[in-house]
Amino acid sequence: MIRRVIAAIVLAASLWSGFRSSGPLPPLGPLLDPANGAWAGAAALNFPARQAATIPGLDAIVNVSIDDRGVPHIFASNETDAYRALGFLVARDRLFQMETQTRAAAGTLTEWAGSRVLGADRESRSIGLVWGAEKKLASYDTASPGYRSFLAYAEGVNAWIAQMRPRDLPVEYRLLNARPQEWKPIHSLYFLSRMSLTLGLNDASMKRFRAQGLVGTAAADALFPVNSTIQEPIQPNGSGSPRYDFTELPPPGLPQKSATAILGARAELYALIEKGMRTESGDALGSNNWAVSPSRSATGHAILAGDPHLDLTLPSVWYEMHIVVPGKLDVAGVGFPGVPGVVIGFNRDVAWTFTNTGSDISDFYTETVNDTISPARYMLDGKWRNVERRIEIYRNPDGDAIATDTLYFTHRGPLRKLAGRWLSMRWAAYEKSHEPDNFMALGYTRNVSQWLDAMRDYVAPAQNGLVADRAGNIAIRSTGKYPLRPGDGRGDVVRDGSTSASDWIGALPVERYPFSMNPAQGFLASANQQPVDPAQNPSYMGSDWVSPWRAMRINSLLRSTTKVTPDDMRRFQTDPGSARADAFVPLFLAAAARSDSAGRPDSVLRVAARLLGAWDRRYVRESRHAALFEAAMYELPRRTWDELIEGDDTTARAAFQMPEGQMLLQLSESPRSVWWDDRRTRARETRDDVLIASLKAGYEKLVKEKGAPGSDGWLWSRNRHANIHHLLRMPAFSSMKIPVQGGPSTLSPSGGSGSQGASWRMVVHLGPEIRAWAVYPGGQSGAPASPRYRDRLSRWATGALEPVLFPKDTAALDPKRIISRLVLTPGKSR
Amino acid sequence: MNSFLKHLLLAEGFAVTTFGLGWWSVPVVAALWGMASADRFRARNAAFCAAVGWATLLLIDAARGPVAVMASQLAGVMHLPVSVLYLATLIFPAILAWSAAALVPSLTRYRRKAVITDPG
Repeated sequence: MIRRVIAAIVLAASLWSGFRSSGPLPPLGPLLDPANGAWAGAAALNFPARQAATIPGLDAIVNVSIDDRGVPHIFASNETDAYRALGFLVARDRLFQMETQTRAAAGTLTEWAGSRVLGADRESRSIGLVWGAEKKLASYDTASPGYRSFLAYAEGVNAWIAQMRPRDLPVEYRLLNARPQEWKPIHSLYFLSRMSLTLGLNDASMKRFRAQGLVGTAAADALFPVNSTIQEPIQPNGSGSPRYDFTELPPPGLPQKSATAILGARAELYALIEKGMRTESGDALGSNNWAVSPSRSATGHAILAGDPHLDLTLPSVWYEMHIVVPGKLDVAGVGFPGVPGVVIGFNRDVAWTFTNTGSDISDFYTETVNDTISPARYMLDGKWRNVERRIEIYRNPDGDAIATDTLYFTHRGPLRKLAGRWLSMRWAAYEKSHEPDNFMALGYTRNVSQWLDAMRDYVAPAQNGLVADRAGNIAIRSTGKYPLRPGDGRGDVVRDGSTSASDWIGALPVERYPFSMNPAQGFLASANQQPVDPAQNPSYMGSDWVSPWRAMRINSLLRSTTKVTPDDMRRFQTDPGSARADAFVPLFLAAAARSDSAGRPDSVLRVAARLLGAWDRRYVRESRHAALFEAAMYELPRRTWDELIEGDDTTARAAFQMPEGQMLLQLSESPRSVWWDDRRTRARETRDDVLIASLKAGYEKLVKEKGAPGSDGWLWSRNRHANIHHLLRMPAFSSMKIPVQGGPSTLSPSGGSGSQGASWRMVVHLGPEIRAWAVYPGGQSGAPASPRYRDRLSRWATGALEPVLFPKDTAALDPKRIISRLVLTPGKSR
Repeated sequence: MNSFLKHLLLAEGFAVTTFGLGWWSVPVVAALWGMASADRFRARNAAFCAAVGWATLLLIDAARGPVAVMASQLAGVMHLPVSVLYLATLIFPAILAWSAAALVPSLTRYRRKAVITDPG
């Protein structure tokens, strides 16, 4: 009897743990099952040499060859079939990533993880990402190539989901006890909305308003200027070197009360989106691109290089592909898993890449509403207009509603109550547009002019599109919708929403976009700096531009040589030099020397200055001095801009609120400016006092934390790393503490968290035959146990690139380089 | 049929039904075995055969893909030593098989006994 009872209890318990998750443990049955579970999933990761599958709706057979880098070469008879095949292949490699990114944008992560991710879901929905994506899809011309590609792509994804064997289920689904959802065209738009949020909401006015509330309007305007005070623009201004528009900063003034009030509202909003914004710590969502004309190329042909910087994740944000439709399309490069087509890449004649423009394409309006709790109407030009309402329901994995929000929208966009005020936001990314059509059209272009035409009506996020062709032309244009505002035209103010006179009055015509083609200098470069010299084009495009250290460095490298090779371009991408270090190291050393010669001997300062002076200003992994400079540079803004620090807040968040580094350089020209004075001390500090104190404090902190000078703790490789997290931030699926070359504001920036950086590096030589080299930090497979999950990571970390295979047809592919052939045939619709 | 062959077939039965139907077939096969076998140690033997059946499948997986990598990653995610994960993969079917093979025959005997002793 006892044995029977024990057996019954054990059977019930084991069946329970087999079918149901218990605490953090997923159901054990489908996980441990060696025929259909995770173990079998490992066995399914190696592609067989030959495979066949069906996709409903295909017009003809599609042949796919997977090369030894895991890149699919898709040979289809028409574009729609090609995108069906692409959807199938990307889903096979990256299904979990596709759905995760989509859910993050759509605010439906709670359906996987419950209330612990409710905050993230609320963020996505309240900012209007879902509303914007739906609006955009509804405005789509259903006959457009973009829309048809969304449908075809979804058919391909769903074909893979339908024929997936249990063992093919990605391991993350098993751990979450979830199943893949059906893929719909809107999912592609959700992803693009999320990308727009990451790259296209660059309203720097929060910092300016905050400063206004602390030091008054004149000082705030000077610290967060509309125009960069170091001009090294994307559109060459003919000066041949950076121009320093430095003037003396006005002293801190009295706090402006209205700004303090607004600050409360904007701080709340930006707390939600701060994650996606750049910081001066060097963890920049910046990017680089440059191209040289035949006149500056060692080969006599144009060469183009690009490295967009984004969040570094495993799997990578990019998926590499090659699509061939004979006689029509032959394009290779990378696109986003979840969105059909190549975004950055090349065809037989043209190569292109992008950096983020960082322009100001959003505005806020204070609205007058009929009900301050739950508004139904808002005032416009003396008349009440209806507020659009949406009820958002958040569900847990069991499908139960766990929260409900009411969202409000005016004709401008999302309406939110922040610090007691109702503010609506207009954002160009929510305007009618068809970016996927723009990207798709690029693959068909045959020269630079056609490429520029194809991007003509691109909207958001604004991008510095760099293009080169085999005829030797190079061009760059900062393309996107730049709103024209009434009055002074500035976008870094909150406007009165009760009048339509505050609304945008149009958009900058494309003829006035920052642009250059085949400049006399023989090269073009962009690194998120202010795109055009305001002396040449005063149109307001944004403010508080990123300090142009990377732009200065790449321009300096390109100016220094007239015989650039593709390998030079590759080396430049991880160049360890720093314009920022070149600017600030001499300041520290000169201050220390002046102090010494003034008869104020200080042994700590002497040692620190000697070490800093021995640095070659290169952030190589073996450097034992770069860490000292960074320790001093950590101290410098906190000791200088004490007027902008509230209380004892010296966190990274405080740094985020501070002026750009170029403003410190500007201030250094006024050694006795009142800004140098630390109000927290009784003495009146000067520039040299602050520089010396920063250097000494940095040195002492480093000794305390890392040991004596020269010890291994000072090695740069021990101080800064790339940290590439899995999408679920599971350490076992992540690659952490990867030593890399580069530091804050180098061309391959390595900042504090190490979780952002060059997400794709590409060099394309536009000779008689296109040749390309590329790498990204990860691998083509999204399965953590796959040999192709992070097979490119070591080469990425060392700055190496891999030759990209670009065969014209299947016969042109070296059979030794093919690991698998897949034949996709038309199948019956479900 | 000698005992070794019988148990070899049982282990293979566990492997084949797991492959064809899924992990939940383990207690079903064990229950059938428990009812059909008069062996005094049928529950213990069912457990052993289930573990052998799954071990065979695991070896086949290992020959075809990076099972060791998967094991170390899964163990990392679950904060377990790798060996525990392998052991769990063998113990889980063993427990299912033992409990089903021990419970079901005794239930059927209990029911048979109840029918015989019921005067109605």
